[in-house]
Amino acid sequence: MSRPKLPALPCLLLLVAAATRIYPAAADARPIVIVIHGGAGVIEPARMTPAKEASYRAGLAAALDAGYTVLERGGTSLDAVTAAVRTMEDDPQFNAGRGAVLNDQGDAELDAAIMDGNGPHSGAVASVLHVKNPIELARLVMEKSRYVLLVGEGAEEFALEQGVALVPRSYFRTEAREREFEETRHAEWAPRNASTGAGRGVQPNSMDTVGAVALDRAGNLSAATSTGGLSTNKHRGRVGDTPLIGAGTYADNQSCAVSGTGQGEYFIRGVVAYDVCALVQYRHLELAQAVREVIHEKLRRAGGEGGVIALDPAGNLAMDFNSVGMFRGARDSRGRREIAMYRDNAKP
Amino acid sequence: MYAIAIHGGAGAVPRATLSAEREQRCRRGLEAALDGGYAVLERGGSSLDAVATAVRILEDDAVFNAGRGAALTREGAAELDAAIMDGRQLRAGAVASVRHVRNPVELARRVMEKSRHVLLVGAGAEEFALEEKFTLVPNLYFRTAERLEQLEFAQRGERVSDLVPPAPQGTVGAVARDAGGNLAAATSTGGLTNKRPGRVGDSPIIGAGTYAKNGVCAVSATGHGEYFIRAVAAHHVCTAVEYRGLTLQQAVHELLHGILRALGGDGGLIAVDRDGQVVMEFSTEGMFRGARDSRGRREVAIY
Repeated sequence: MSRPKLPALPCLLLLVAAATRIYPAAADARPIVIVIHGGAGVIEPARMTPAKEASYRAGLAAALDAGYTVLERGGTSLDAVTAAVRTMEDDPQFNAGRGAVLNDQGDAELDAAIMDGNGPHSGAVASVLHVKNPIELARLVMEKSRYVLLVGEGAEEFALEQGVALVPRSYFRTEAREREFEETRHAEWAPRNASTGAGRGVQPNSMDTVGAVALDRAGNLSAATSTGGLSTNKHRGRVGDTPLIGAGTYADNQSCAVSGTGQGEYFIRGVVAYDVCALVQYRHLELAQAVREVIHEKLRRAGGEGGVIALDPAGNLAMDFNSVGMFRGARDSRGRREIAMYRDNAKP
Repeated sequence: MYAIAIHGGAGAVPRATLSAEREQRCRRGLEAALDGGYAVLERGGSSLDAVATAVRILEDDAVFNAGRGAALTREGAAELDAAIMDGRQLRAGAVASVRHVRNPVELARRVMEKSRHVLLVGAGAEEFALEEKFTLVPNLYFRTAERLEQLEFAQRGERVSDLVPPAPQGTVGAVARDAGGNLAAATSTGGLTNKRPGRVGDSPIIGAGTYAKNGVCAVSATGHGEYFIRAVAAHHVCTAVEYRGLTLQQAVHELLHGILRALGGDGGLIAVDRDGQVVMEFSTEGMFRGARDSRGRREVAIY
């Protein structure tokens, strides 16, 4: 596969990164780290053009750096994951916020969750149709309501009460998604019954989601995830794992922070995000080992596809998936900065 | 060996304010659900059918906060959540924020069996109900004079339990183990009185209020849902049994009196392990509950 030429800025950063590796900062006892993903339902390598790949990489880099900048300035991990996810929600390439996939009614129906590992506290929204940045509304649910999860019109009523301006449904629709909607609507495909695991056939592009996990200078972990859910043909009202604490999103300073992407129904049934942290906390597995067991053993055995990003309090991170690829990126104060899409194609 | 346990909610149920007449109504309702579910197991039915039957009976009984007689939102409407899980293959179905489905647990089961999804919410869930030939009922079907009165007291900021015959807070649920060793759990609720429309608690969230895994345990929770969500309560109990080898009793105790107490939340839960051992525990004043098994145990209790 041909690769786009490295633009000047990443080259510079690569040099900086290399330099930092040689001369690690003394203050590194308290690392800061951010990890992001832009979905595991990625385009097959064969169908990826250099232009598309460059564009996705730029989108991931923008989100990664937006989150890292927050941490670098001494900000909280909560602010960092919010900034990273908001950046991807606003980028129409990703299945979250603007550019989210359309449900069987032709609408973008959005879900998001955020969790603060210090507490832990959490907030989530599901099935909202008019909220520009669902991750920000999830955070308001956490900080300004007595609740954890608000859905549908009730969530939008809360948004208005909090002074969040609503946007028309047309804001989320992009030409590409409308084309996809029309194509998929008429396409024949064998639905796989994901609530039972029965049936066969998997819908293309059904696993795009965006998410971030971060560790700040104070040692606090946070996780955030946002999605438009399954691609075209999802039943109106369907909610996946993203806004469900424990399934697609989880953070606890005692164990780890996780954001998932994949076939949501399998993530719900396996309580995937929490399971990774339970293996770390109670079976004392290394983070990477716990992620491997959940993604490559349990999830695969159940028949589910997808991946997670995860981070522990020491700054160890994992980005693993059992699908073709997972759009992802990581940056930390030890000089690591990488963006990758498939296996072994990490680049700064 | 087969066993079933049920709950009709946990909360502040001061003995003094629970009239003898009302206590009788609650006990009768619990017995009907317990025996209904047990009869399924006795006939050789599955744990899934047993928990669905028990929860449906509790939903139809206006005394409990699920189905008819559900707690009302701040706008005076019933908004219902339910989930069911089959421990055999970790199959699950759930619905949230539905307003016109008579037995939400049956719709949750239909989501599990007939859709590609696990959780459907709001109008989309009701659209699915219609596609599945459910007859929708008006929201008024769920509303009882008692719940309206409770809402009015809550909105005036008065302590509900002082003035109104206390109804179980929370939720209804059931867990069962059938003769084949299969575990199942189901939970159904109207949620909190005076809740904001759209609020979803732990009941329909797989892993929080409801979980079942063969060989480990089945759990149905009731209580302050937001805390149960953050603690991933039901799944926490199962991981404590599976990963750390705790007994079910130890796992439940740690969750309720350790983890949830530290977070500031209270409630209760019922659980059954792979051998059919039932645990029913709560950190509140009371929990409406019952258990019955093939070894002859049959009990219904409140405090």
